[in-house]
Amino acid sequence: MTLKSLLATLALTTALTLPGLAMAKPVTLTTTLNNYGGDGAYLALYVTDASGAYVGSLWMAGGKSKYYEHLSDWYRATGGDTAQVNGITGASVGAGRTLEITLDLADALFDAGYTLHINAAVEDMRDSPNEVAVPLTTDGAGTSVAGRRYVASFAYDM
Amino acid sequence: MRKTLTLLVASTALTAVIGTTGWSAMSAAPDGSPRPFAAIFEDAAQTIPLVLTSDDDDDRNWRDGSRRGDDDDDDDDDCEDDKDDDDCRGGARNPAPAGTVAPPQNGLFGNGAPPQVQVN
Repeated sequence: MTLKSLLATLALTTALTLPGLAMAKPVTLTTTLNNYGGDGAYLALYVTDASGAYVGSLWMAGGKSKYYEHLSDWYRATGGDTAQVNGITGASVGAGRTLEITLDLADALFDAGYTLHINAAVEDMRDSPNEVAVPLTTDGAGTSVAGRRYVASFAYDM
Repeated sequence: MRKTLTLLVASTALTAVIGTTGWSAMSAAPDGSPRPFAAIFEDAAQTIPLVLTSDDDDDRNWRDGSRRGDDDDDDDDDCEDDKDDDDCRGGARNPAPAGTVAPPQNGLFGNGAPPQVQVN
């Protein structure tokens, strides 16, 4: 193999690899719960587009699908389809605890009109379908917002 | 035939008299005085425990208290005993935990590192 063809191959592989690396980056979602005095909270984190249509889920805290109907906005959008949260499901989050998730998220999610929502539900307590709704922007990274009932604060960092 | 019937009636009446007399003697009042025959049945009626056939709410879980009716709670209770919840909610399976399968291809995730989670 000549030097010229080797360089051409290297340039081609680099050109193919770089866009892939640039299209996503690790984003940390930090959710801290209030001391609401109840059992662990189920949380659904999902994204809607500029028109409010469901795009996809980012995380599900709580593994029993029979309780997902209490995450009513998420449930309405997905029909309770557990395939939406396969591989992105963890345990429910206790009162006063902080859930920290680091995900490799597409760059296209930011500054494009997408909104991150959190639905929350706690056993024997009121459901909170619209707990948090924050626009996904690069400027909004690191800014903490308060939830309505169970979430003391939420922030995303890039 | 008539003689047999008479004997049967007489023996039955005699047994009833002896039985009730003995029962009255065994269940005497605390002060030792004999009690009327009807009082025995009154006592029995009073000591029958009251059994509620409808379930109380206390053992239900995941109540909402605002919008959900009893039917939903009953459904939950039916599922509660299942050790694996695969049969709950009309066959809806629990999702695969993080780390066991790749995240869904919903356009939100890159192909880089798998999700990392930490609860503090």
